[in-house]
Amino acid sequence: MAAVDAARLPVAAPSPWWRSRNALVLAVVAGMLLAFFGWRNELLWPASLTWNALSHHLDDFQTWLSNNRNVAHPSVFFRAFNGLADFLDNLVGWLTSLFFKLTWIGTTALGVLVVLRFGGRKAALGTLAAFAAFAAMGLWEPSMRTFALTFAAVALSLAIGLPLGVLAGRSDRFQRAITPLLDAMQIIPAFAYLMPVVILFSVGRGAAVVTTMIYAIPPAIRITALGIRGVPTNTVEAATAFGATRWQTLLKVQLPLARRLLLLSVNQTILFALSMVVIAGLIGGQGLGDVVTSGIYSDPALALIAGGAIVVMAIALDRATEAMAIRTDPTHRHLTESKKRRLRIFTAACAVAIGLAAGLGNAFGAGSSWMRWSAQPWLRRQVQAALDYVQNPDTFVFHITNPVGNFIVKYGLVPLQSFFTEVPWPAMVFGLALIAFLLSGLRPALVTVAMLALVGLVNEWPQGMDTLSQVLVGTLLTMLVGIPLGVWAAESRRAERMMRPVLDVLQTLPQLVYIIPFIYLMPVSLVPGVIAAVLYAAPVVIRLVAAGVREVSPHAVEAAGAFGATRAQVLLKVKIPLARDAIMLGVNQGLIMVLSVVVIAGLVGSGALGYDVAQGLNRGLFGQGVLASLAILALGIALDRVTQGRSRKRLGEMA
Amino acid sequence: MVAVAETASLGHEIDRSAEPLIRARNVWKVFGRNADKIVGTPEAQLSRSELRAKHDCVAAVRDVSFEVWPREVFVVMGLSGSGKSTLVRTLIRLIEPTAGEIEIAGQDVTSASPTELRQLRRHTSSMVFQHFGLLAHRRVIDNVAFGLEIQGVSKSERLARAEEVLKLVGLEEVGNSFPDQLSGGMQQRVGLARAFAVEPKVMLYDEPFSALDPLIRRDMQDEVIRLQHETGKTMVFITHDLPEALRLGDRIAIMRDGAIVQLGTPEDLVGSPADEYVENFVRDIPRSHVLTLRWIMRDPRPGEEDGPRLDVRTTVRKAVSLIAGSERPVCAVEDDRVVGVCDKEAVLTAIAGESD
Repeated sequence: MAAVDAARLPVAAPSPWWRSRNALVLAVVAGMLLAFFGWRNELLWPASLTWNALSHHLDDFQTWLSNNRNVAHPSVFFRAFNGLADFLDNLVGWLTSLFFKLTWIGTTALGVLVVLRFGGRKAALGTLAAFAAFAAMGLWEPSMRTFALTFAAVALSLAIGLPLGVLAGRSDRFQRAITPLLDAMQIIPAFAYLMPVVILFSVGRGAAVVTTMIYAIPPAIRITALGIRGVPTNTVEAATAFGATRWQTLLKVQLPLARRLLLLSVNQTILFALSMVVIAGLIGGQGLGDVVTSGIYSDPALALIAGGAIVVMAIALDRATEAMAIRTDPTHRHLTESKKRRLRIFTAACAVAIGLAAGLGNAFGAGSSWMRWSAQPWLRRQVQAALDYVQNPDTFVFHITNPVGNFIVKYGLVPLQSFFTEVPWPAMVFGLALIAFLLSGLRPALVTVAMLALVGLVNEWPQGMDTLSQVLVGTLLTMLVGIPLGVWAAESRRAERMMRPVLDVLQTLPQLVYIIPFIYLMPVSLVPGVIAAVLYAAPVVIRLVAAGVREVSPHAVEAAGAFGATRAQVLLKVKIPLARDAIMLGVNQGLIMVLSVVVIAGLVGSGALGYDVAQGLNRGLFGQGVLASLAILALGIALDRVTQGRSRKRLGEMA
Repeated sequence: MVAVAETASLGHEIDRSAEPLIRARNVWKVFGRNADKIVGTPEAQLSRSELRAKHDCVAAVRDVSFEVWPREVFVVMGLSGSGKSTLVRTLIRLIEPTAGEIEIAGQDVTSASPTELRQLRRHTSSMVFQHFGLLAHRRVIDNVAFGLEIQGVSKSERLARAEEVLKLVGLEEVGNSFPDQLSGGMQQRVGLARAFAVEPKVMLYDEPFSALDPLIRRDMQDEVIRLQHETGKTMVFITHDLPEALRLGDRIAIMRDGAIVQLGTPEDLVGSPADEYVENFVRDIPRSHVLTLRWIMRDPRPGEEDGPRLDVRTTVRKAVSLIAGSERPVCAVEDDRVVGVCDKEAVLTAIAGESD
């Protein structure tokens, strides 16, 4: 039968090299270049195709909003938003004051003993070390505020994300309905939704919690759904066969068996939320994020130290939740009655100890925060000295960073920027659409056209193209770094072991923290953003490429070896071609991540779309800020569609 | 040649006078988007590959009818993809049948409401699965008590019952262990215990021993035979292993491409295969281990009725020594009445037939 089917298929003629996909993409690029040289600066986005009044309308809308929000008797709509903002603000405020009332002794006891009870001694020591680090950095109070903010955001994200995830795990239809929304939430750079959130919730801790939640809910939903779907079907079927109702199946079978992934989703939600701390600092989320954002210009050393504190918190929370997940796993614990009794006594002892610590702290007036001694002044001096050193034109560091920065500007940013901003706009729109068509298919191409048109329509074409050029330079550098390192990590266990801790730290650092040192290292306006973007995106690309190369079927590799291929041949002719989907996914993710940093760099002189958003936030130019946010969103979607490839659908179906 | 033990069916009596406990009539299961439009039309006669090409449908079960009597062990045998696992799932609507009628213990399953169906699954049937389907996060005893827990039985009561059943399958020592601490064979014993704990009328086995290695599999078959003797449950047993089917089944249905190609006792299958497909299956089975005297006897001639007597249900293998050592043909007896005789020639022919 199979033979018959095969016979029916027409034999594909080998297509000539000039019809291969890569060659066609290159041809499109060549066409765009031709258009650039032929009609440079002649066809800029026409004013007739922009909607200039939109910005004013938005400003009017914002004025109307703030007028109506603050009247004596606001309408139901405003009361709902105000109420939500107040509720969130109060929640964070309540948590913060709880930590302060416990005094620093009580808070430390709470954290360490809870981790000790559920996560074991090692994790508890890590937590203690984190508290000590906050004290030593002199950042106890902002750390507690940040923790309260994160805790509130995570709790609410999970309260929304876990039930939706369970629903998505149990219903294919709901999963299909919610996936595009989750995709969109993850493509949009966080910077782009700051404006709308601020307009609806006004600046404050409420807005900070909402921003964090938008970012942290998608992973909670996705991982939970994955966990529910990962429960062996035969167990679910067995429960059904014994007459279990849907609720019984969920509570007695699916949730307990999905436990590992449910806890992973808690863990990931915490890390995602923490990575938003700095951005939340921009819109009134106090704490460490505030220290970072306000310190960028006035006190960069302190901002860097605060960034370090965020990393310490992220690592401590990550380790603690992981330890708790493993230690409390019933399938590996095999509890006996006597063990259970001992644990119960231990729990009671911990509770008493926490109460005692809080009581003693209050009795002896320990104070809400640790204020006595800190190494902050010393740390600050050291960091500042380092920053001064790299900035000094007499040192060798300067002789490395300066030429590198200049090189990137001269041969990367400037030519690309002029190409993107000066090329005739139809060539740009249709060129990108064609590339999207060639790489990803018809629908992505149409979406690309629509999104680019949107950028033009909201009068952000030049800024958008400027941002695009920065993104391309950043992504190119990311790929130059990421692909070789990824392949190396896949090929050598030693290399992988060496890279892992570095990548871990890089992935937990909040985006803005990357930028700070490079403002000093490479004092050329656009470069810090691009370099920071590369550092931010490279770990993910390295991991994707490494995973892709490592997952290449061992049979194919073995077969190649059996034919006498050298290691280089195996790599070039088998592994890398077979890992193409993973590499393409790396390009896609890299673009999105680079975009998210490049726009944040608008805060520190990268200009373009990010600058417009920053202006909107800082100067109250709401209309312009919202439009720039819209353009960022459109660019994000367009970049995603151009490079999503034909394989994503297949990968999605497999998952 | 495959070694097969004597059929186990001699040990228990099947009550065929009562109503059948399970009745399946013209059951169809078609997978695919246009599944509803196939059954009842001439299209249903298309072969599997034609159906797939023309309608993008797969007929997993085609027009299957059978009845199972109380205390009977009914085996469905077929290769992978023959539709046997789908068939057993349609019986309690773990997979919805596309068409047909199913009745279990007098209740119409096909038209049962969700609540009725749940009651049926809780109290009337229970199932043993190929990959055990145990809950990794619970102790063995809690796994065994799972069905009772679902029914809402109180904790002390269900644990007492679970302990009882664990004793029945010889696992009383490991009640506090977790499934992953047990071997595959022991895990499936837990699966058996879980199914027995709810005291069902009907036990459904979906290839319960396929995942076990051959020695353990034999132990487990013995276990099922023993439990069958002790509890007299009605069983529907799915397998792809012919020796297993012959060993356990009172009657066996052989499935191919979703349809039953032959339904009969082990002797029927081995003695008179319905077609080439079944014949290929049973070719390696030593006939003398399965066939009984009924298959080789002839009508007695006058004067032959006073030879040595043997029950007509004795297998040829067991009868060989008596027949070979006797001067006169051996009489096959049913209910104290001579129904036929077997001579040496008949035995030799039966044994010679094995080497074909």
